[in-house]
Amino acid sequence: MYTAPQPREDETLSAFFDGELSDEMARSVLRRLDAHPAERRRYDEYCAVSAALRGLPDAVPDLTSRVMAALEREPVVLAPMRRIAPRPPLLWAAAAAVAVLTWSLWSVLPHPQEPLPLAARQPADQALPYLAAHQDYAQAVMSPTEMQFTRVSLAEAGR
Amino acid sequence: MRTAWFLLFLPLAAQAADPLPAGEAAVWLQRMADSARRMSYEGVFVFRNGPEMHTLSVANRPVGQSSESRLKALDGMQREVRCTQAGAITVMSDGAQVRMEKRLSGRHFPDLLPANAASLANWYAVKLGETARVAGLDCTEVELVPKDVFRWGYILCAEKNSGLPLKAVMVNEAGLPLTQFSFAELKLGATPRMDPMPLSDMPETARPVASERVTVTALPPGYARIAAVSRQLPNKPGQVEHWVFSDGLTHISLFLEHAAKPVETMKGQSRPGDIHMLTRQVGSLQATVLGNAPWPAVEQVAMGLEVRK
Repeated sequence: MYTAPQPREDETLSAFFDGELSDEMARSVLRRLDAHPAERRRYDEYCAVSAALRGLPDAVPDLTSRVMAALEREPVVLAPMRRIAPRPPLLWAAAAAVAVLTWSLWSVLPHPQEPLPLAARQPADQALPYLAAHQDYAQAVMSPTEMQFTRVSLAEAGR
Repeated sequence: MRTAWFLLFLPLAAQAADPLPAGEAAVWLQRMADSARRMSYEGVFVFRNGPEMHTLSVANRPVGQSSESRLKALDGMQREVRCTQAGAITVMSDGAQVRMEKRLSGRHFPDLLPANAASLANWYAVKLGETARVAGLDCTEVELVPKDVFRWGYILCAEKNSGLPLKAVMVNEAGLPLTQFSFAELKLGATPRMDPMPLSDMPETARPVASERVTVTALPPGYARIAAVSRQLPNKPGQVEHWVFSDGLTHISLFLEHAAKPVETMKGQSRPGDIHMLTRQVGSLQATVLGNAPWPAVEQVAMGLEVRK
């Protein structure tokens, strides 16, 4: 069955990739990636294309490295810290459960170094002359943007 | 007491977000369009499209009833667009090699609105927003909210005195930015120097379409055909028909060429989501429709194509 590209979902994935989502939204994306293989494939493609665009062979380190690097970048707090009241054991248990769940979800994330499938790349190359010609009207002098393609039947295209 | 004061100002706040009456909207639109062409200015702006960001310089000066402009990419490959009343060219430099190509249109930031910008009020509700500061200049936010699903929205920031757009953001139906232009530095009133452009020496790259083989049964509301030429596309052998449909702000291209084999129907979308595309077969032709437009607009053009009888 054909599924139309969803711009808002793509933007969410992009924001997730850039680390711009709130914790709550990032968790929601992780849940979606876990539940939907198609979403994972799109995320995979997104990572590969972003890396290629930046000309970096390994532009997307694995998430664990990213998290560890982010932790290392945390600022050192020089002001005296407020004393934190001891938390009830139930909250600690909930926090541990969330940590386990988060780790298991991260572990199923797609591998960013996998190449983009040839079928997805080929039409994108074929589209370049049209994108370049359309740029006469498209406000800029930039290189044409990359596209994501789906084969559809005419009935589906008209839906 | 604090709550009571807040309630007093509520009607004013609501009024600020209301669409402008049609006449006032037309005035704002036309003022922004005219200032981009009739003023002298020189500046640097940033263009952002999804994960990509580029810096460009722009210069404009009025010449008679028209204007001359120069757009230059400051990063990546050396590219320049030169526009005069006689036409527009792209100049590309790759080391010692310089290549020049005629363009069908010289549209670029901040000159994004059509010459008859007031007519856009038919298809967009115009709202005034807050006062902002861009490139050290005060400006008023002007929001163009599409009245239907066939065009993206825009948020422009019009310079306080002249109305020149200092910033332009194209947004999707959720209000999320798709492309953004914003001046980083701008000198208003500066008269830039422009080298003469050898337009007359250059070969014509496009000629009008002789006979039309297809017809578009239903264009999206407000769109009209503004070009139909036969041309060669970059890095593609042979001649292709290039038709362009526009509402003045949004542009959709239709490319028609002989189909050497059965055409697979393909639907495409750019990563940031601003461009949509559909390739299909119409009679013996391959039709490729693409535009910086929402899917329903591209779809309506593509699905409305029929062989002319």
